[in-house]
Amino acid sequence: MADFADKFQRAFLEGDRWKLYFKGLGLTLEVALFAAILGLVIGTVAALLRLGKTNDGKNTVGSFIAGVYIDVIRGTPSVVQLLIMWFIIMKNSTNGVLVASLSFGINSGAYVAEIIRAGILAVDKGQTEAGRSLGLSKAQTFLYIVFPQAVKNVLPPIGNEFIVLVKETAIVGYVSLSDLTRVANQVASRTYEAFFPLVGAAVIYFVIIKLMTIGLGILERRLRKSDHH
Amino acid sequence: MIIIKDLRKEFGDLKVLNGISYHIKKGDKIVIVGPSGSGKSTFLRCLNLLETPTSGRISFEGEIITDPKADLNRIRRHMGMVFQNFNLFNNLNILDNITLAPVKLKIKSREEAEEDAFRLLERIGLKDKASAYPYSLSGGQKQRIAIVRSLAMNPKLMLFDEPTSALDPEMVGEVLEVMRELANDGMTMVVVTHEMGFAREVGTKVLFMDEGVIVEENTPEEFFAHPKSPRLQDFLSKVL
Repeated sequence: MADFADKFQRAFLEGDRWKLYFKGLGLTLEVALFAAILGLVIGTVAALLRLGKTNDGKNTVGSFIAGVYIDVIRGTPSVVQLLIMWFIIMKNSTNGVLVASLSFGINSGAYVAEIIRAGILAVDKGQTEAGRSLGLSKAQTFLYIVFPQAVKNVLPPIGNEFIVLVKETAIVGYVSLSDLTRVANQVASRTYEAFFPLVGAAVIYFVIIKLMTIGLGILERRLRKSDHH
Repeated sequence: MIIIKDLRKEFGDLKVLNGISYHIKKGDKIVIVGPSGSGKSTFLRCLNLLETPTSGRISFEGEIITDPKADLNRIRRHMGMVFQNFNLFNNLNILDNITLAPVKLKIKSREEAEEDAFRLLERIGLKDKASAYPYSLSGGQKQRIAIVRSLAMNPKLMLFDEPTSALDPEMVGEVLEVMRELANDGMTMVVVTHEMGFAREVGTKVLFMDEGVIVEENTPEEFFAHPKSPRLQDFLSKVL
Protein backbone atom coordinates (compact mmCIF):
# COMPACT_ATOMS: atom_id res chain seq x y z
CA MET A 1 0.00 0.00 0.00
CA ALA A 2 2.81 2.33 0.87
CA ASP A 3 4.34 1.30 -2.44
CA PHE A 4 1.17 2.27 -4.24
CA ALA A 5 1.06 5.71 -2.63
CA ASP A 6 4.71 6.17 -3.42
CA LYS A 7 4.16 5.41 -7.10
CA PHE A 8 1.22 7.82 -7.20
CA GLN A 9 3.33 10.47 -5.57
CA ARG A 10 6.08 10.01 -8.14
CA ALA A 11 3.71 9.96 -11.10
CA PHE A 12 1.80 13.14 -10.25
CA LEU A 13 3.19 15.10 -7.33
CA GLU A 14 6.99 14.89 -7.37
CA GLY A 15 8.42 18.02 -8.98
CA ASP A 16 4.87 19.24 -9.62
CA ARG A 17 4.49 16.71 -12.46
CA TRP A 18 0.72 17.16 -12.51
CA LYS A 19 1.35 20.49 -14.20
CA LEU A 20 2.95 18.62 -17.11
CA TYR A 21 -0.21 16.61 -17.67
CA PHE A 22 -2.28 19.74 -17.78
CA LYS A 23 0.13 21.42 -20.16
CA GLY A 24 -0.08 18.32 -22.32
CA LEU A 25 -3.84 18.37 -22.14
CA GLY A 26 -3.77 22.03 -23.12
CA LEU A 27 -1.81 21.21 -26.25
CA THR A 28 -4.12 18.29 -27.06
CA LEU A 29 -7.16 20.53 -26.80
CA GLU A 30 -5.52 23.34 -28.73
CA VAL A 31 -4.70 21.11 -31.67
CA ALA A 32 -8.10 19.41 -31.52
CA LEU A 33 -10.00 22.71 -31.41
CA PHE A 34 -8.17 24.30 -34.34
CA ALA A 35 -8.42 21.07 -36.31
CA ALA A 36 -12.15 20.76 -35.58
CA ILE A 37 -12.85 24.30 -36.79
CA LEU A 38 -10.69 23.84 -39.87
CA GLY A 39 -12.24 20.42 -40.53
CA LEU A 40 -15.74 21.86 -40.28
CA VAL A 41 -14.95 24.63 -42.76
CA ILE A 42 -13.13 22.37 -45.22
CA GLY A 43 -15.72 19.64 -44.81
CA THR A 44 -18.65 21.98 -45.49
CA VAL A 45 -17.00 23.41 -48.59
CA ALA A 46 -15.98 19.96 -49.82
CA ALA A 47 -19.49 18.57 -49.25
CA LEU A 48 -21.10 21.41 -51.20
CA LEU A 49 -18.59 21.03 -54.02
CA ARG A 50 -19.09 17.26 -54.01
CA LEU A 51 -22.84 17.71 -54.46
CA GLY A 52 -22.41 20.22 -57.26
CA LYS A 53 -24.21 19.33 -60.45
CA THR A 54 -24.34 21.14 -63.74
CA ASN A 55 -27.75 21.99 -65.17
CA ASP A 56 -27.81 18.83 -67.25
CA GLY A 57 -27.07 16.67 -64.22
CA LYS A 58 -23.35 15.99 -64.68
CA ASN A 59 -20.74 16.29 -61.94
CA THR A 60 -18.87 19.58 -61.84
CA VAL A 61 -15.09 20.00 -61.81
CA GLY A 62 -15.41 21.06 -58.15
CA SER A 63 -17.25 17.85 -57.40
CA PHE A 64 -14.45 15.84 -58.99
CA ILE A 65 -11.73 17.68 -57.04
CA ALA A 66 -13.62 17.27 -53.75
CA GLY A 67 -14.03 13.58 -54.55
CA VAL A 68 -10.29 13.14 -55.07
CA TYR A 69 -9.52 15.00 -51.83
CA ILE A 70 -11.90 12.80 -49.85
CA ASP A 71 -10.51 9.64 -51.45
CA VAL A 72 -6.87 10.49 -50.81
CA ILE A 73 -7.37 11.60 -47.21
CA ARG A 74 -9.54 8.64 -46.27
CA GLY A 75 -7.22 6.25 -48.05
CA THR A 76 -4.08 7.11 -46.08
CA PRO A 77 -3.28 6.87 -42.34
CA SER A 78 -3.42 10.12 -40.42
CA VAL A 79 0.05 9.43 -38.93
CA VAL A 80 1.49 9.31 -42.42
CA GLN A 81 -0.33 12.53 -43.31
CA LEU A 82 1.06 14.19 -40.19
CA LEU A 83 4.61 13.07 -40.98
CA ILE A 84 4.32 14.26 -44.58
CA MET A 85 3.07 17.63 -43.36
CA TRP A 86 5.87 17.94 -40.80
CA PHE A 87 8.85 16.59 -42.76
CA ILE A 88 7.93 17.54 -46.33
CA ILE A 89 5.21 20.10 -46.91
CA MET A 90 5.97 22.38 -43.97
CA LYS A 91 9.51 21.29 -43.17
CA ASN A 92 10.61 24.90 -42.59
CA SER A 93 7.96 25.56 -39.97
CA THR A 94 8.93 25.31 -36.32
CA ASN A 95 5.34 25.78 -35.15
CA GLY A 96 4.36 22.22 -34.34
CA VAL A 97 0.89 23.15 -33.16
CA LEU A 98 0.19 24.85 -36.48
CA VAL A 99 1.45 21.91 -38.51
CA ALA A 100 -0.50 19.40 -36.44
CA SER A 101 -3.68 21.50 -36.52
CA LEU A 102 -3.48 21.83 -40.29
CA SER A 103 -2.80 18.16 -40.76
CA PHE A 104 -5.66 17.02 -38.50
CA GLY A 105 -7.98 19.69 -39.89
CA ILE A 106 -7.39 18.55 -43.45
CA ASN A 107 -7.83 14.96 -42.36
CA SER A 108 -11.02 15.61 -40.43
CA GLY A 109 -12.43 17.70 -43.29
CA ALA A 110 -12.70 14.62 -45.50
CA TYR A 111 -14.79 12.74 -42.95
CA VAL A 112 -16.87 15.82 -42.14
CA ALA A 113 -17.51 16.30 -45.86
CA GLU A 114 -19.00 12.83 -46.17
CA ILE A 115 -21.09 13.33 -43.04
CA ILE A 116 -22.49 16.63 -44.30
CA ARG A 117 -23.10 15.26 -47.78
CA ALA A 118 -25.10 12.40 -46.32
CA GLY A 119 -26.97 14.82 -44.05
CA ILE A 120 -27.98 17.00 -46.99
CA LEU A 121 -29.04 14.04 -49.12
CA ALA A 122 -31.15 12.74 -46.24
CA VAL A 123 -33.42 15.80 -46.35
CA ASP A 124 -36.59 14.83 -48.20
CA LYS A 125 -36.57 15.90 -51.85
CA GLY A 126 -40.10 17.23 -51.39
CA GLN A 127 -38.73 20.02 -49.21
CA THR A 128 -36.63 21.29 -52.10
CA GLU A 129 -39.50 20.89 -54.56
CA ALA A 130 -41.84 22.85 -52.33
CA GLY A 131 -39.29 25.64 -51.99
CA ARG A 132 -38.61 25.79 -55.71
CA SER A 133 -42.32 25.65 -56.56
CA LEU A 134 -42.83 28.83 -54.53
CA GLY A 135 -40.26 30.60 -56.68
CA LEU A 136 -37.34 30.45 -54.24
CA SER A 137 -34.00 30.04 -55.97
CA LYS A 138 -31.79 26.99 -55.55
CA ALA A 139 -29.57 28.90 -53.12
CA GLN A 140 -32.47 30.30 -51.07
CA THR A 141 -34.11 26.88 -50.84
CA PHE A 142 -30.85 25.38 -49.68
CA LEU A 143 -30.09 28.13 -47.18
CA TYR A 144 -33.50 28.48 -45.53
CA ILE A 145 -34.93 24.98 -45.84
CA VAL A 146 -32.47 22.19 -46.63
CA PHE A 147 -29.40 23.29 -44.70
CA PRO A 148 -31.13 23.87 -41.33
CA GLN A 149 -32.61 20.38 -41.56
CA ALA A 150 -29.28 18.89 -42.63
CA VAL A 151 -27.57 20.45 -39.58
CA LYS A 152 -29.92 18.50 -37.36
CA ASN A 153 -29.18 15.30 -39.25
CA VAL A 154 -25.42 15.69 -39.04
CA LEU A 155 -25.03 16.78 -35.44
CA PRO A 156 -24.66 13.28 -33.92
CA PRO A 157 -22.09 12.02 -36.46
CA ILE A 158 -20.21 15.35 -36.37
CA GLY A 159 -20.03 15.08 -32.59
CA ASN A 160 -18.65 11.60 -33.03
CA GLU A 161 -16.06 12.93 -35.47
CA PHE A 162 -14.92 15.56 -32.93
CA ILE A 163 -14.57 12.88 -30.30
CA VAL A 164 -12.44 10.78 -32.63
CA LEU A 165 -10.40 13.88 -33.43
CA VAL A 166 -9.55 14.63 -29.78
CA LYS A 167 -8.26 11.11 -29.30
CA GLU A 168 -6.46 10.98 -32.62
CA THR A 169 -4.27 13.92 -31.62
CA ALA A 170 -2.49 11.40 -29.39
CA ILE A 171 -0.18 10.73 -32.35
CA VAL A 172 1.34 14.24 -32.36
CA GLY A 173 4.19 12.80 -30.32
CA TYR A 174 5.50 11.58 -33.70
CA VAL A 175 6.41 15.19 -34.51
CA SER A 176 7.78 15.92 -31.03
CA LEU A 177 4.78 17.76 -29.63
CA SER A 178 4.21 17.24 -25.92
CA ASP A 179 0.54 16.42 -25.78
CA LEU A 180 -1.15 14.55 -22.97
CA THR A 181 -0.18 11.11 -24.28
CA ARG A 182 3.47 12.01 -24.81
CA VAL A 183 3.75 13.64 -21.38
CA ALA A 184 2.33 10.53 -19.73
CA ASN A 185 4.73 8.37 -21.68
CA GLN A 186 7.69 10.57 -20.69
CA VAL A 187 6.79 10.47 -17.02
CA ALA A 188 6.45 6.69 -17.27
CA SER A 189 9.91 6.28 -18.70
CA ARG A 190 11.45 8.68 -16.22
CA THR A 191 9.92 7.00 -13.16
CA TYR A 192 10.13 3.41 -14.52
CA GLU A 193 6.49 3.08 -13.63
CA ALA A 194 3.81 3.03 -16.30
CA PHE A 195 0.57 2.40 -14.39
CA PHE A 196 -0.28 5.80 -12.93
CA PRO A 197 0.85 8.03 -15.80
CA LEU A 198 -0.96 6.02 -18.47
CA VAL A 199 -4.12 5.31 -16.50
CA GLY A 200 -4.07 8.95 -15.41
CA ALA A 201 -3.92 10.10 -19.04
CA ALA A 202 -6.72 7.71 -19.94
CA VAL A 203 -8.91 9.10 -17.15
CA ILE A 204 -8.27 12.67 -18.31
CA TYR A 205 -9.20 11.80 -21.93
CA PHE A 206 -12.30 10.06 -20.68
CA VAL A 207 -13.45 13.01 -18.61
CA ILE A 208 -12.90 15.46 -21.48
CA ILE A 209 -14.85 13.32 -23.89
CA LYS A 210 -17.61 12.71 -21.37
CA LEU A 211 -17.97 16.48 -21.05
CA MET A 212 -18.10 16.83 -24.84
CA THR A 213 -20.77 14.15 -25.04
CA ILE A 214 -22.90 15.96 -22.49
CA GLY A 215 -22.47 19.28 -24.31
CA LEU A 216 -23.38 17.74 -27.67
CA GLY A 217 -26.42 16.09 -26.11
CA ILE A 218 -27.71 19.44 -24.89
CA LEU A 219 -27.14 21.03 -28.30
CA GLU A 220 -28.90 18.17 -30.04
CA ARG A 221 -31.95 18.39 -27.82
CA ARG A 222 -32.20 22.11 -28.48
CA LEU A 223 -32.09 21.65 -32.23
CA ARG A 224 -34.69 18.92 -32.06
CA LYS A 225 -37.44 21.19 -30.84
CA SER A 226 -39.09 21.18 -34.27
CA ASP A 227 -38.77 17.42 -34.64
CA HIS A 228 -41.12 14.59 -33.92
CA HIS A 229 -38.68 12.46 -31.96
CA MET B 1 -53.24 31.07 -69.93
CA ILE B 2 -51.14 27.96 -70.57
CA ILE B 3 -50.63 26.47 -73.99
CA ILE B 4 -48.96 23.08 -74.12
CA LYS B 5 -47.70 21.77 -77.42
CA ASP B 6 -46.54 18.23 -78.12
CA LEU B 7 -45.10 17.76 -74.64
CA ARG B 8 -42.89 14.70 -74.24
CA LYS B 9 -40.98 13.39 -71.26
CA GLU B 10 -38.68 10.41 -71.09
CA PHE B 11 -36.81 9.02 -68.09
CA GLY B 12 -34.03 7.09 -69.80
CA ASP B 13 -35.81 4.47 -71.90
CA LEU B 14 -39.12 5.01 -70.17
CA LYS B 15 -41.47 7.20 -72.19
CA VAL B 16 -43.81 8.83 -69.70
CA LEU B 17 -45.42 11.57 -71.77
CA ASN B 18 -45.98 10.87 -75.43
CA GLY B 19 -47.07 14.12 -76.96
CA ILE B 20 -49.55 16.18 -75.00
CA SER B 21 -51.13 19.30 -76.39
CA TYR B 22 -53.66 21.27 -74.41
CA HIS B 23 -54.89 24.77 -73.77
CA ILE B 24 -55.69 25.87 -70.21
CA LYS B 25 -57.77 29.03 -70.05
CA LYS B 26 -58.11 31.50 -67.21
CA GLY B 27 -60.69 30.29 -64.70
CA ASP B 28 -60.56 26.68 -65.91
CA LYS B 29 -60.71 23.91 -63.35
CA ILE B 30 -59.02 21.05 -65.14
CA VAL B 31 -59.27 17.71 -63.37
CA ILE B 32 -56.92 14.97 -64.58
CA VAL B 33 -57.72 11.36 -63.82
CA GLY B 34 -56.20 8.12 -64.97
CA PRO B 35 -54.56 4.91 -63.78
CA SER B 36 -51.27 5.10 -61.89
CA GLY B 37 -48.31 5.31 -64.19
CA SER B 38 -50.36 7.11 -66.82
CA GLY B 39 -48.12 10.19 -66.58
CA LYS B 40 -50.63 12.57 -65.00
CA SER B 41 -48.34 13.65 -62.15
CA THR B 42 -45.40 14.04 -64.51
CA PHE B 43 -47.60 16.18 -66.77
CA LEU B 44 -48.52 18.41 -63.85
CA ARG B 45 -44.90 18.69 -62.71
CA CYS B 46 -43.88 19.72 -66.23
CA LEU B 47 -46.23 22.70 -66.03
CA ASN B 48 -44.07 24.45 -63.43
CA LEU B 49 -40.90 22.81 -64.72
CA LEU B 50 -40.23 20.69 -61.65
CA GLU B 51 -39.66 18.15 -64.40
CA THR B 52 -37.83 19.34 -67.48
CA PRO B 53 -39.68 18.15 -70.58
CA THR B 54 -37.65 16.15 -73.08
CA SER B 55 -39.30 18.03 -75.90
CA GLY B 56 -42.34 20.15 -76.62
CA ARG B 57 -43.32 23.65 -75.72
CA ILE B 58 -45.20 25.24 -72.85
CA SER B 59 -46.15 28.88 -72.81
CA PHE B 60 -47.55 30.71 -69.80
CA GLU B 61 -49.28 34.00 -70.48
CA GLY B 62 -47.44 34.30 -73.76
CA GLU B 63 -43.99 33.50 -72.37
CA ILE B 64 -42.25 30.32 -73.54
CA ILE B 65 -41.32 28.76 -70.20
CA THR B 66 -39.64 25.70 -71.74
CA ASP B 67 -37.03 28.04 -73.21
CA PRO B 68 -33.73 27.28 -71.41
CA LYS B 69 -33.29 31.00 -70.81
CA ALA B 70 -36.68 31.46 -69.14
CA ASP B 71 -36.53 32.79 -65.58
CA LEU B 72 -38.11 29.85 -63.78
CA ASN B 73 -37.97 31.41 -60.32
CA ARG B 74 -40.06 34.33 -61.48
CA ILE B 75 -42.52 32.17 -63.42
CA ARG B 76 -43.02 29.76 -60.53
CA ARG B 77 -44.14 32.59 -58.25
CA HIS B 78 -47.33 32.72 -60.28
CA MET B 79 -48.00 28.99 -60.12
CA GLY B 80 -48.82 27.53 -56.74
CA MET B 81 -48.28 23.82 -56.26
CA VAL B 82 -49.75 21.47 -53.69
CA PHE B 83 -48.10 18.09 -53.22
CA GLN B 84 -49.36 14.69 -52.22
CA ASN B 85 -47.06 14.67 -49.19
CA PHE B 86 -47.76 18.29 -48.18
CA ASN B 87 -44.06 19.17 -48.01
CA LEU B 88 -44.44 21.78 -45.33
CA PHE B 89 -40.99 23.00 -44.30
CA ASN B 90 -40.21 20.85 -41.26
CA ASN B 91 -37.75 23.34 -39.77
CA LEU B 92 -40.18 26.25 -39.74
CA ASN B 93 -43.36 26.90 -37.80
CA ILE B 94 -46.61 27.39 -39.67
CA LEU B 95 -46.41 31.18 -39.82
CA ASP B 96 -42.86 31.04 -41.21
CA ASN B 97 -43.89 28.33 -43.67
CA ILE B 98 -46.41 30.74 -45.12
CA THR B 99 -44.35 33.94 -44.97
CA LEU B 100 -40.92 32.59 -46.03
CA ALA B 101 -41.30 32.89 -49.80
CA PRO B 102 -43.21 36.21 -49.96
CA VAL B 103 -40.74 37.85 -47.57
CA LYS B 104 -37.52 36.41 -49.00
CA LEU B 105 -38.63 37.18 -52.54
CA LYS B 106 -39.46 40.71 -51.39
CA ILE B 107 -43.04 40.51 -52.57
CA LYS B 108 -44.36 41.57 -49.18
CA SER B 109 -42.89 43.15 -46.08
CA ARG B 110 -42.76 40.90 -43.03
CA GLU B 111 -45.70 42.74 -41.44
CA GLU B 112 -47.81 42.47 -44.57
CA ALA B 113 -46.90 38.82 -45.03
CA GLU B 114 -47.82 37.97 -41.44
CA GLU B 115 -51.07 39.86 -41.68
CA ASP B 116 -51.95 37.96 -44.85
CA ALA B 117 -50.86 34.68 -43.30
CA PHE B 118 -53.13 35.18 -40.29
CA ARG B 119 -56.03 36.07 -42.56
CA LEU B 120 -55.45 32.93 -44.64
CA LEU B 121 -55.11 30.78 -41.53
CA GLU B 122 -58.32 32.21 -40.18
CA ARG B 123 -60.08 31.31 -43.38
CA ILE B 124 -59.16 27.66 -42.93
CA GLY B 125 -59.78 27.79 -39.16
CA LEU B 126 -56.17 27.19 -38.14
CA LYS B 127 -55.16 30.59 -36.80
CA ASP B 128 -54.27 29.03 -33.45
CA LYS B 129 -51.64 26.85 -35.15
CA ALA B 130 -49.48 29.77 -36.35
CA SER B 131 -46.61 28.99 -34.01
CA ALA B 132 -46.93 25.20 -34.19
CA TYR B 133 -44.48 23.05 -36.13
CA PRO B 134 -45.64 20.77 -38.94
CA TYR B 135 -44.99 17.53 -37.04
CA SER B 136 -47.73 18.37 -34.55
CA LEU B 137 -50.46 18.69 -37.18
CA SER B 138 -52.74 16.13 -38.80
CA GLY B 139 -52.43 15.39 -42.51
CA GLY B 140 -55.57 17.34 -43.29
CA GLN B 141 -54.31 20.38 -41.40
CA LYS B 142 -50.93 20.15 -43.11
CA GLN B 143 -52.48 20.02 -46.54
CA ARG B 144 -54.81 22.96 -45.88
CA ILE B 145 -51.79 24.96 -44.71
CA ALA B 146 -49.82 23.87 -47.77
CA ILE B 147 -52.65 25.28 -49.89
CA VAL B 148 -52.65 28.65 -48.14
CA ARG B 149 -48.85 28.73 -48.24
CA SER B 150 -49.15 28.70 -52.02
CA LEU B 151 -51.98 31.25 -51.92
CA ALA B 152 -49.79 33.64 -49.93
CA MET B 153 -47.84 34.18 -53.17
CA ASN B 154 -51.04 35.34 -54.89
CA PRO B 155 -50.60 32.83 -57.73
CA LYS B 156 -52.48 33.06 -60.99
CA LEU B 157 -52.98 29.34 -61.10
CA MET B 158 -52.79 26.41 -58.71
CA LEU B 159 -51.50 22.91 -59.44
CA PHE B 160 -52.65 20.06 -57.21
CA ASP B 161 -50.77 16.77 -57.35
CA GLU B 162 -53.03 14.16 -55.75
CA PRO B 163 -53.68 16.43 -52.76
CA THR B 164 -55.83 13.96 -50.86
CA SER B 165 -54.10 10.66 -51.68
CA ALA B 166 -51.93 10.58 -48.55
CA LEU B 167 -54.75 11.52 -46.19
CA ASP B 168 -56.78 9.43 -43.83
CA PRO B 169 -60.30 9.15 -45.26
CA GLU B 170 -61.90 11.36 -42.63
CA MET B 171 -59.59 14.23 -43.57
CA VAL B 172 -60.20 14.21 -47.30
CA GLY B 173 -63.36 16.28 -46.94
CA GLU B 174 -61.77 19.26 -45.20
CA VAL B 175 -59.10 19.56 -47.89
CA LEU B 176 -61.57 19.24 -50.75
CA GLU B 177 -63.70 21.90 -49.05
CA VAL B 178 -60.82 24.40 -49.18
CA MET B 179 -60.23 23.52 -52.83
CA ARG B 180 -63.91 23.95 -53.60
CA GLU B 181 -63.91 27.43 -52.06
CA LEU B 182 -60.83 28.29 -54.06
CA ALA B 183 -62.57 27.17 -57.24
CA ASN B 184 -65.61 29.28 -56.36
CA ASP B 185 -63.34 32.29 -55.94
CA GLY B 186 -62.40 31.88 -59.60
CA MET B 187 -58.90 30.41 -59.24
CA THR B 188 -57.54 28.63 -62.29
CA MET B 189 -56.79 25.09 -61.16
CA VAL B 190 -55.24 21.93 -62.53
CA VAL B 191 -55.94 18.98 -60.26
CA VAL B 192 -54.62 15.44 -60.49
CA THR B 193 -56.87 13.34 -58.29
CA HIS B 194 -58.72 10.11 -57.72
CA GLU B 195 -61.67 11.96 -56.19
CA MET B 196 -64.31 11.44 -58.89
CA GLY B 197 -66.92 13.31 -56.88
CA PHE B 198 -64.72 16.38 -56.82
CA ALA B 199 -64.02 16.06 -60.55
CA ARG B 200 -67.72 15.90 -61.30
CA GLU B 201 -68.67 18.76 -59.03
CA VAL B 202 -65.86 21.28 -59.47
CA GLY B 203 -64.22 20.48 -62.80
CA THR B 204 -64.92 22.57 -65.88
CA LYS B 205 -63.13 19.90 -67.90
CA VAL B 206 -62.08 16.39 -67.01
CA LEU B 207 -59.13 14.75 -68.78
CA PHE B 208 -58.46 11.05 -68.88
CA MET B 209 -54.80 10.19 -69.28
CA ASP B 210 -53.35 6.81 -70.06
CA GLU B 211 -49.91 5.76 -71.30
CA GLY B 212 -48.67 9.31 -71.54
CA VAL B 213 -51.42 10.80 -73.68
CA ILE B 214 -54.76 12.50 -73.12
CA VAL B 215 -57.16 9.81 -74.21
CA GLU B 216 -60.36 11.71 -73.64
CA GLU B 217 -61.45 15.18 -72.62
CA ASN B 218 -64.93 16.35 -71.84
CA THR B 219 -67.21 18.28 -69.54
CA PRO B 220 -67.76 16.39 -66.28
CA GLU B 221 -71.37 15.52 -67.19
CA GLU B 222 -70.46 13.96 -70.52
CA PHE B 223 -67.23 12.49 -69.20
CA PHE B 224 -68.94 10.39 -66.56
CA ALA B 225 -72.27 9.79 -68.30
CA HIS B 226 -71.03 8.96 -71.79
CA PRO B 227 -67.39 7.91 -71.82
CA LYS B 228 -66.42 7.25 -75.43
CA SER B 229 -63.18 5.29 -75.40
CA PRO B 230 -63.16 1.70 -74.16
CA ARG B 231 -60.18 2.48 -71.92
CA LEU B 232 -62.07 5.22 -70.09
CA GLN B 233 -65.16 3.02 -69.83
CA ASP B 234 -63.00 0.31 -68.32
CA PHE B 235 -61.34 2.79 -65.94
CA LEU B 236 -64.63 4.28 -64.77
CA SER B 237 -66.13 0.86 -64.24
CA LYS B 238 -63.29 0.14 -61.81
CA VAL B 239 -63.28 3.40 -59.84
CA LEU B 240 -66.96 4.33 -59.65
